[in-house]
Amino acid sequence: MAAGRRFRVDPSLVIVTVLLVAVLIAGFTLSERFGTLRNLMNVLEQAAALGFVSLGQSLVVLVGGIDLSVGAVVTASTVLMAAVVEMNPAWMVPMIPGVLAFGAFIGFINGFLVLRTGVHPLIVTLGTGSVLNGLVLLYTLQPTGGVPYWFEEFAYGRIGPVPVAGLVMLVCFGFVWFFLKYTAMGRSFYAVGGGEESARLSGIDSNRVILIAYTACGFFVALAGAYFVSRTGVGDPRVGEPFTLASITPVIVGGILLGGGKGNVLGALLGVFLISLINNLLNYMDVSTFIQWIVQGLIILVAVSVYVNRERKL
Amino acid sequence: MSEPASKSTALVPVKRLALPAAMLALVGFAAVLQPSFLSPSNLQDILTQAAPLGIVVLGQAFVVLVRGLDLSVASLMATVAVIATAFNATDDAMIPVIFAVAIGFSALVGLTNGLLVTKRNVSPFLATLAIMIVLQGLRFYYTQGAPAGSLPSGFRFLGTGRIAGIPVNMIAFAVLFVVLGWLLHKSAFGRKVYITGGNPVSADLVGIRSDRVTILCYVICSVMAGIAGLFLVGFVGTVDNWVGRGYELDSIVAVVIGGVALSGGTGTLWGAASGALILILLFNIVIILGLPVQAQLIIKGIIIIFAAALFARARAQ
Repeated sequence: MAAGRRFRVDPSLVIVTVLLVAVLIAGFTLSERFGTLRNLMNVLEQAAALGFVSLGQSLVVLVGGIDLSVGAVVTASTVLMAAVVEMNPAWMVPMIPGVLAFGAFIGFINGFLVLRTGVHPLIVTLGTGSVLNGLVLLYTLQPTGGVPYWFEEFAYGRIGPVPVAGLVMLVCFGFVWFFLKYTAMGRSFYAVGGGEESARLSGIDSNRVILIAYTACGFFVALAGAYFVSRTGVGDPRVGEPFTLASITPVIVGGILLGGGKGNVLGALLGVFLISLINNLLNYMDVSTFIQWIVQGLIILVAVSVYVNRERKL
Repeated sequence: MSEPASKSTALVPVKRLALPAAMLALVGFAAVLQPSFLSPSNLQDILTQAAPLGIVVLGQAFVVLVRGLDLSVASLMATVAVIATAFNATDDAMIPVIFAVAIGFSALVGLTNGLLVTKRNVSPFLATLAIMIVLQGLRFYYTQGAPAGSLPSGFRFLGTGRIAGIPVNMIAFAVLFVVLGWLLHKSAFGRKVYITGGNPVSADLVGIRSDRVTILCYVICSVMAGIAGLFLVGFVGTVDNWVGRGYELDSIVAVVIGGVALSGGTGTLWGAASGALILILLFNIVIILGLPVQAQLIIKGIIIIFAAALFARARAQ
């Protein structure tokens, strides 16, 4: 690795970029419609949900945790938002920060329980996710609620050719990237993920960092919930379920190590693009969802094997 | 013979008493609420429901003991169920063949999980997650979303039948429990499991091939999931692509409720099995109380955090 040290660029970013370029080239060659601006902008629009949850998941994974409640938080956010707004449409505007605060609150509870009980984050977030899912399903088994028509601008609106939701996602990633790279608090995320004890010894309040990571995760995950309400106009008690595990794939493919301390949210963003473009391309090629699953499983295995071996050689 | 547990002697009395006490309390609570809870037919129903989860939990416990986690068990159960129907057999004589093929396939899946975790150093969560998704894709691709095919009628007996009043699948669970309990708590392999789970590096230093032990634990887990899948498909009666859905997380919940630490090296098979029974009892009580089924999710969530926190505290002392 001595030679590699001269490059300041994270090698996992290089790997995921190469993969991304490969998929783009394959797409341009294999399908006529894939390479059009219109299709790529559609992919950006549709990638927003995965982007929001993966951004949240990245933060938690960076500090050495994992959040298996994200699916439930997406679901609960959609139902909460759509149900409240249907009762009183005047609540539409306050419910936007409202639902984000709700997500942040659930994230805070996750972080609090992880720190307070000493229980593995996997178990804690599995538990809170289960409780949240149960509550939502007690409230409704069917899609419910409704929002004013104008709110669909968040999911479907365009500024020029650029989708609003995709833009919001990019801004969020940019903000978090800046935070992690250029603020003291952000840099301490890596220290805490690298080893809580040593971070504490070097004067970092690791409990505070962990709380912030989980809270921010909940916030971004709720943003995905708002996106779905905007997209479908309703709160859907099942919409979030696939995101619990799906949120982890881009994080891993982007080179953020499970266990914490290493990685870059830009990697996760590229991971989101990679997954979304592959699925889009496979759709154009009429490959069934079933094969898409197999491909996704293999991507995880390949990415993880490559990164882990690289790390071990250090 | 109980050296493996000696590391946590302080915990042993807590664990030994806590689980039976919790079970008794639950049974007592249910009996007070609904006297017919103790009727033989209701108890038989509970045991019939508990057996497939219990079998999965036995395997999951081995993996968790070596610091692992197997998210692929439910996907494997459904895949094995699809394989079983692919034979389109009607003759009960085919049942042993189906079992042999299913167990062989499961062992291969476990081997893959184990190799990824040990030789490629992939985190258990991701390795088994990827295998879960791959199995799901293969299964759906094969069935094209709509499973067809039939099972010999004997499967129905395995899933729901009774011998002398005892559910057949519970007898299978009991046999597996005894065999695996001997393996874990009385055999040399079992001691290696605890040492590997306690600290893989020092296990290597004392000459234990911890990789091999870990791989075997994954194989055991997958084989148990495969067997449970066959019993569950017999219980459900029809095959669909999601037989066993939710068992991956429920089995982990049960193992943790039973006091097996995710950090590896501590816990017993008896504890894990009790965890499964406690979980099923809780589900049953929700029904008795007349609560909606969704309340099971809420109770499950609270109980797992609570139980895990209790055990974490007991270990810290």
